[in-house]
Amino acid sequence: MQWLAKRIGQALFTLWAVITLSFVLIRFLPGGPIDYLVVQLRKQGIPESQISNYVRNYVSFQPDQPLWLQYLDYMASVLQGDFGEAYFLDGQVFDILAQALPWTVFLAAIGTFLTTVIGIVVGGFMAYTEGSKFDTGVTLFSTIAGGIPYYILAIGLLYVFAYRLQYFPTGGQVDPELVPGFKWPYIESVLYHAALPILSTTLVGWGGTALSMRGNSISVLGEDYIRIARLRGLPRRRIAIRYVARNAMLPMYTGILLAIAFMLGGSVILEEIFAYPGVGYYLFQGTVSRDYPVMMGGLIMISTAVIIGVLIADLTYSKIDPRAAGEGDRESY
Amino acid sequence: MASQQSDGERVETEIPFRTTAETDVSHREQFLYSVDRLLIAPFRILWADWRARVGFLIILLYVLMGTVGVLVNPVPTAGMDERYLQPFHDGWLTFESVSVLGLHLPLDPVIYLPLGTDALGKGLWSQIVHATPSMLKMIIAGAVFSTVVATILGTLAGYKGGYTDRSIMTLADITMTIPGLPLVIIIAAALQPENPYIIGLILGINNWAGLCRAVRSQVLSVRERNFVEASRAMGLSTPRILVDDIIPDLMSYVSIHFVTAARGIIFESVGLYYLGILPFTTFNWGVMMNLAYTTSGALYTWQSAHWLFIPMITITVLSVGLILFSQGLDRIFNPRVRARHVKSVSSADDDEEQTSPMTTVPTN
Amino acid sequence: MTRVNHSTETMRKRTDRDVILKVRDVSVSFDMDRGESRVLDSVSLDIYRDEILGVVGESGSGKSMFASALLDAVVRPGQLTGEITYYPTEGEEIDLLDLTPAELKRLRWEEISMVFQGAMSSFNPTMKIRQHFEETLDAHQRDREEGLAHARELLSDLYLDPDRILRSYPHELSGGMSQRALIALSLVLEPRVLVMDEPTAALDLLMQRSILTLLENLQDKYNLTIIFITHDLPLVAGLADRLAVMYAFEFAEIGPSEEVIRDAAHPYARSLLKAVPNLDAPLERMRPIAGSAPDPVNVPTGCSYHPRCPLADDECVEVDPGYYDVGENRVAACHHWTKSSEAIPYLVSETDADQGDNVGAIE
Repeated sequence: MQWLAKRIGQALFTLWAVITLSFVLIRFLPGGPIDYLVVQLRKQGIPESQISNYVRNYVSFQPDQPLWLQYLDYMASVLQGDFGEAYFLDGQVFDILAQALPWTVFLAAIGTFLTTVIGIVVGGFMAYTEGSKFDTGVTLFSTIAGGIPYYILAIGLLYVFAYRLQYFPTGGQVDPELVPGFKWPYIESVLYHAALPILSTTLVGWGGTALSMRGNSISVLGEDYIRIARLRGLPRRRIAIRYVARNAMLPMYTGILLAIAFMLGGSVILEEIFAYPGVGYYLFQGTVSRDYPVMMGGLIMISTAVIIGVLIADLTYSKIDPRAAGEGDRESY
Repeated sequence: MASQQSDGERVETEIPFRTTAETDVSHREQFLYSVDRLLIAPFRILWADWRARVGFLIILLYVLMGTVGVLVNPVPTAGMDERYLQPFHDGWLTFESVSVLGLHLPLDPVIYLPLGTDALGKGLWSQIVHATPSMLKMIIAGAVFSTVVATILGTLAGYKGGYTDRSIMTLADITMTIPGLPLVIIIAAALQPENPYIIGLILGINNWAGLCRAVRSQVLSVRERNFVEASRAMGLSTPRILVDDIIPDLMSYVSIHFVTAARGIIFESVGLYYLGILPFTTFNWGVMMNLAYTTSGALYTWQSAHWLFIPMITITVLSVGLILFSQGLDRIFNPRVRARHVKSVSSADDDEEQTSPMTTVPTN
Repeated sequence: MTRVNHSTETMRKRTDRDVILKVRDVSVSFDMDRGESRVLDSVSLDIYRDEILGVVGESGSGKSMFASALLDAVVRPGQLTGEITYYPTEGEEIDLLDLTPAELKRLRWEEISMVFQGAMSSFNPTMKIRQHFEETLDAHQRDREEGLAHARELLSDLYLDPDRILRSYPHELSGGMSQRALIALSLVLEPRVLVMDEPTAALDLLMQRSILTLLENLQDKYNLTIIFITHDLPLVAGLADRLAVMYAFEFAEIGPSEEVIRDAAHPYARSLLKAVPNLDAPLERMRPIAGSAPDPVNVPTGCSYHPRCPLADDECVEVDPGYYDVGENRVAACHHWTKSSEAIPYLVSETDADQGDNVGAIE
């Protein structure tokens, strides 16, 4: 329980750090948002006395107030889900991003899941067949596949399967004519549109997972408890799953955390390439048009998603590794 | 270690009077020994691994491209030839005649725009080559920065422990959680950096945390080991212990991290150029991809596809090279794999292990 | 001085005692680049029902291989040859090296069980101790309820709180606790033979002693035959009924503990005893054995101990000594065993005798 509280505390602390960071970026980046906004507003002929109020609309604080008040103002607004008003897009930043977030999480979750599961299964088989043709072949393949930047693969897939062969759509999340709901045509359309983005992260990502799973499994296979389990006459299946796989998976925890951060962070490039309107897509559009409220909102939104993802991974991990709960204390002495 | 000391002793006993010369020689020997131990010996092992070998050659190729290649190849300008010249077009490779013993033989190869041209008639090969130097600068700035920061912070955290350790680790955890790419995009978009070194620094800003953690746990485990305790008991100073015992053990992590960080920086810089977030002031593979994609619809037409795909292949080959190299490093430094490796290479070590000298019968 | 060329005959003389395991010419070899590595070199030995046999040797002498061989569990690519016969009851006979996989699975743990050193690494770190017992019972089609009841009894016999242990994860137990839990796990299917390979090596002295006491109790209660393998001669001296001293992948001397301790016949066994630290003896009397243990690829010709032996002569270099009868139920592989006590004197330390008594006293 104490461990759980610590983890949640850490997550909240990180969230606070992210919001503070985004405040610092907005407020202090040279040639940054405030100056930019003020110039833009002046150009539009807004009276000087009104400018501060207008700015507040966009970035949730008034630049002529004392710094600490600006900070508290900003913090309070963000925590209430008020990311300000979008500058070029219509509406509140939070509303725009909130409807985009599920799509981004959907892509990232499926991507992480497939990468991890395929990697673990293939890596386990590689360890069991160490030195075989299958093992060396897959090692070579995943090394090279893992070397390709995911956006390069994305462009390649888009070129071949969407533009040339026209098997897949070149953009969008779902056929806009379909009514949303848990009905097959809708789900099918969602999967159809998500196929290429997911394929590009998964194809590039599973190899690394497989290689580390392979290495871990090989070292677990040399452990005393495996030998004793065999002497005790346990079924091979049980040894493979309950002993080898489970223990080999434990050190991959950090890798999974990084995968979550990578999938969500990478959404900026991925969603732009596939014109897939998720948070990353808006963050990119905001960046191109210097729409600072959207940029910062996007950063906070994606970071929050990562923080929650990491927390979920943490909690799951403590279910798999009985030692995890005590680890945090032991490690920092 | 042992042979280093005995070398020094031997010199001293042989030339007992010439104090200055003696230290010179021993320094020189020590230096040569260090070179051998830190550079030549690891390189020899590295060369034995095919991954490391292939990776090293690929990296060497790109380094040559960025140094020698820039001098040999013309700076790309518009209108070098017709637009959309295809790669390996007729006449990309011709042979000029050379007079040999009065005979004119076509022996001198001339390579002319081997990868074709873009929409403005700029040679693609020249563009690829001239993008390399700024890429190398970014890698140097970014990877060196993150490696140095990570090593210092990680060593400090592991060695000092307590409050220092906790705060550094919390900082590292937060850095690891904040998604790097969006952050870098925002900073890059706001600052619009043009200097490749600065771009490298920005891209490396969130790269240090992973290595920092690894270094810390390594320092912790080394700290517990007997020989460090022994050094401490002998009254050696902390920096001395760090330099002699701890830093060498970290070399593996550091070098692997350096390669990984370099890969990350290439990924991100090309990605950012491709997205048009960094200003197009230098040649860059990402810029080529962006222009091919946005100005000539490389995705729709066959005519300009090579403009898009050539930089893509360039990045992929470099990235695969770096990955192979870092895997090679990993196999050398990973003790389990190394043990197997050493055994298969030399049976002399094997002998030594088997016939461990028996001094006294163990009793506990 | 009667010289018997091979052990078989000597052994047969003593079959008035009830044998449970008969080991004949058992070898384990590995093919290596440098040649064949023989890590167990045709050893022969009888193990009697309900005895505690102490197998003593320095590290790398082949004693762990001997332990693995008794369960036909030599790690690949090791080659196990020879003959091991197991007599579950008098009259019944099982050729251990000629079993089908299914029969072998039944034999291991149900008939002959094993405890390794490093109990901490012998449990799956992601499973509770209880699950280890349960899966073992399941794998051998035993009734879970009954089996767990037996497990609880064993744990209590080992002075552990059964409920607490069963619901713990391995990392929650101390070294001594997990070692005892491992002993309980090895006995849960009620085997007749228990092979223990350095079971106390990682523990402190006090814990070692108390585990030995508990072992004696268990042996009494469940009629176990225990093969206790260790590098620590004084540790096992008080516990074992008989001692078998290993050197260079063979047995150098086999005999009743007390007699071997009091006046060992083989020079190596004598040197071992001499090297034992003894608080009473002045420091200069403690002698480490000079030289090093042989390499399994290049075992010296003749008597493998000759390079380190003060008694060695040409005969020792040329002729491999068979077993000489050196007393009742005692054999030693040395041409010059009669001269050994003179050449390598050592004091029968009072402590060794005391240790034996102490163990008895705690009982």
